[in-house]
Amino acid sequence: MSIGKKLTETKKLPRHSLTREDYLEIFKQLFLARYFDIRLIKEKKRGRLRGTLYSSHNQEAVLVGTLYALNPEDWISPIHRDMPAFFLKDLKSGWNNPERKGISIEQIICQVFGKVDAPGRARDNWSHIGSREKKIIHSTSMLAGTIPVAAGVALSEKMRGSDTVVVTYNGEGSTARGDFHEAINYAAVKKLPMITVIENNMWAYGTHVSEVCNTPDVADRAKGFDIPGIVADGQDVFDVYDKMSQLVEYARQGNGPSILECKTYRAYGHGDHDDNRADKYRPSEDVNSGRSRDPLAVCREYLVNENILGKDDANLYMADNKSASQASDEDFPEEVINYLKQGVDFAINSGLPEAEEGGMWVFKE
Amino acid sequence: MSVEQAVKTNYLNALKQAIDEEMAADSEMICIGEDIANLGGAFGVTEGLVDKYGKWRVQDMPIAEECIVGTAVGAALTGRRVMAEMQFIDFISCGFDQIVNNLATFHYRTAGEVPMPVVLRGPAGGYGGGALYHSQMNEGWFCHSPGLKVVCPSTSYDAKGLLKAALRDPNPVIFYEIKELYRRKDLEEELPTTDYIVPLGKATVRRSGEHITLVSYGQNMYHCYQVADMLAKDGYSAEVIDIRTLVPLDEQTIMDSIKKTSRVVVVNEAPRTCGFAGEVLARVCENAFEYLDAPPARCTRLDTPVPWVKPLESFVLPSVEKIYNTCIRTLKY
Repeated sequence: MSIGKKLTETKKLPRHSLTREDYLEIFKQLFLARYFDIRLIKEKKRGRLRGTLYSSHNQEAVLVGTLYALNPEDWISPIHRDMPAFFLKDLKSGWNNPERKGISIEQIICQVFGKVDAPGRARDNWSHIGSREKKIIHSTSMLAGTIPVAAGVALSEKMRGSDTVVVTYNGEGSTARGDFHEAINYAAVKKLPMITVIENNMWAYGTHVSEVCNTPDVADRAKGFDIPGIVADGQDVFDVYDKMSQLVEYARQGNGPSILECKTYRAYGHGDHDDNRADKYRPSEDVNSGRSRDPLAVCREYLVNENILGKDDANLYMADNKSASQASDEDFPEEVINYLKQGVDFAINSGLPEAEEGGMWVFKE
Repeated sequence: MSVEQAVKTNYLNALKQAIDEEMAADSEMICIGEDIANLGGAFGVTEGLVDKYGKWRVQDMPIAEECIVGTAVGAALTGRRVMAEMQFIDFISCGFDQIVNNLATFHYRTAGEVPMPVVLRGPAGGYGGGALYHSQMNEGWFCHSPGLKVVCPSTSYDAKGLLKAALRDPNPVIFYEIKELYRRKDLEEELPTTDYIVPLGKATVRRSGEHITLVSYGQNMYHCYQVADMLAKDGYSAEVIDIRTLVPLDEQTIMDSIKKTSRVVVVNEAPRTCGFAGEVLARVCENAFEYLDAPPARCTRLDTPVPWVKPLESFVLPSVEKIYNTCIRTLKY
């Protein structure tokens, strides 16, 4: 669905320019994002993970689909439910390629374990990391707060004549904040290359979207800025990829910002501390329908129908619709399991920062 | 006439020169703020800059302080220096989250990876009948937020030198300009024709004295000078210190003075409770307690907003009379 300013019609869907390797890589990246989440749940039970776990289970297609549409030099800003985005960024340049513009799996596991080799040396928790070199904007807990920062990055890049695009990830809840409206308004006026991805998982902590948004789609907010607002099926990685690719192209050509709303559903509680309460404040029919289309299954079905995945391969790795306790290592490609193991092994051996570091770097000398 | 008349610069033009010179020296630096380009700023601090540097480097922003500060953070993340104007320093509260949670903590959170060379500057202070939302000195909020430097010049020379130092600093600086001083005739002075800065974190002794130390900054400096004159008639000589930079604070200059005078009064126009005067007094107690012959005292605004009409405003703000009385109490203790 397209809201606000209309995009030029394209005859060929962006996915049709992908190679067979791309399709299979995308499928594998979905497994990687899912396994990351499952592995962290297990690591928390082992006492290794520090702090709250904000699961991205059931929302992986949003991350993989949008990130696969970017160039290495593009900027992103993930928030709490986007932890896999840090290592999915530019993953197609090689999972273990140190030059790629994404954070290594070793560093990400160090981050969730609170170890010194994390980006930022474990000074702030969970997703509050980034990297100037890897083109990832650091976020705070104040959601939508990365959008004005993204506008500043986009402004700077545009002034330098680069065709870099800046992408922020946000929940539907944060679209009520002033920062969201202030920054998109500004970016629209200056035609800044900025894409605001809204992961509409229907629940902002304990509040349903219908209680805080007066329009059927969050993307309707695009109308007021006269920019494109596109709604994608957040369970379908290729629909996300197609729509994101169009908006990336639109931004790269200097047309300005846009909003991509991906309809999805939060599998568990807001954080793992909220899992039990979420079962009470969310009606079971709401949960069942929200989780009825696992992005792994949707992708698998498409690949089979398109003859990209053969019948035998299609029945391998059946992680679809399985929770952390139900899934086993046989449900995931070996490469995925080894990649996570590589990160966990590294992080176990990484130390804690020296206590005195708590008082350092308030100012640059 | 063969003798050239010396060019005298007021406080406002000193600020303008600082921005202009830094913009000329660094083609990556940008200026953003409400009405700063087309209009040249509500008070004219940025007048003419857009003609010189173009409308991208000198940009009119929407009335959206979170966006202005966030944009500054983003531009700094890509390596640019940024001057962002708050049309009145009172309006800075609308950008509070981006300042204290994002800008101030960036270098800390990234373990030194990303500095934030951003100056947020704007007109501040009372005594002009500006009422509640055009009279504030809210520096205390930012002194209480680790990661921000806080500066407040009282002379034209310092206005230029401190702003240049702030713009060159790799840390975020909240820069309090005193709007009542912008065009004061008696503050016009001949400025060096060569490049200079006034380093951040250095207080200065404006007047030397033996019996009491007056510590202040910004507009209240001029009240302190009048009080020093009155005290001189009573036979007391007052030392007057201009803090200039609140964070980081030059404690040494203050303590050295108190060791000499043994009495201190701190003056500022912010509210009393948790105000910066209280912080100075706490440090005096910690570091110079044994040198004191009287309780360290302060003269501040009452714990009220700044009201509009003259009698109300005068009632709540520090005045020459109130400062004088505080000094006499301290001297006669």
